[in-house]
Amino acid sequence: MRSYLAVALGGLVGTGLRLACDLAFPRADDAFPVETLIVNLGGAFALGWLVGGLWTRPTTPRWLKAGIGPGVLGSFTTLSAVTAALVVLGREGEWLTAFAYLLASIIGGLAAAAAGLRIGSLIAHRPMPTDVTDAGETL
Amino acid sequence: MTGVLSPLVAAAVLVAGAMGAVMRYALSRALPVRPGHLPGGILIVNVVGSAFAGALIGLAERAALDGDLRLVLVTGFCGGLTTFSTWSVETIELVDGDRWRAAVFNVVLTFVLGIAAAAGGYLLVG
Repeated sequence: MRSYLAVALGGLVGTGLRLACDLAFPRADDAFPVETLIVNLGGAFALGWLVGGLWTRPTTPRWLKAGIGPGVLGSFTTLSAVTAALVVLGREGEWLTAFAYLLASIIGGLAAAAAGLRIGSLIAHRPMPTDVTDAGETL
Repeated sequence: MTGVLSPLVAAAVLVAGAMGAVMRYALSRALPVRPGHLPGGILIVNVVGSAFAGALIGLAERAALDGDLRLVLVTGFCGGLTTFSTWSVETIELVDGDRWRAAVFNVVLTFVLGIAAAAGGYLLVG
């Protein structure tokens, strides 16, 4: 129950941060969605860092992982904004921009998560976690 | 969208985002990931959220959905329901665990189904 409350509170915070970014950097329908890309890559890096570091510490409470992982970072980052922006870019005939955005999201997101995981476990002096034993619950 | 946002609308966006996050969390707990396998719960929320977002943006463009409501439902609910950070970290953990096939499936299925769902939703209301 405590984990659900933490996810709800984290969801408020993460959505608020993303909303602030959206409002601070308005974008035309046919422009490259730089802001969403930065939000997503930053969130992927931060989650990787935490999963490689703080999450591996046995004393880290489960509700805290849930509140920050699926809560704050899960709702700060978004996939629906990416897929919807790709559809709108396609409608605008901006196929090159759409393709570049798709590639930047996939390659950039995976690179950011990988870098975060490695830096996080390096700093925590722990081996890289390779099991997604509680994936979805704390990521 | 204007730069002016009423506190009430902003609060509604945040609450909608939190509701989306709780639904995502509930589904991923209901469908636990077996180590080394495809994270199905996150794939489902990402595809469903993409379909909603596509349909809602289509409705907003046809003036069937006002700007504030679009913000609450698309930026708030769909944004909170779907996630990019979990998808990327889970994919890298599959790679690090030498589960290349599951990792590739997670990338391809997320984007192929996600884009198809967003396009489907968008075209359906058109």
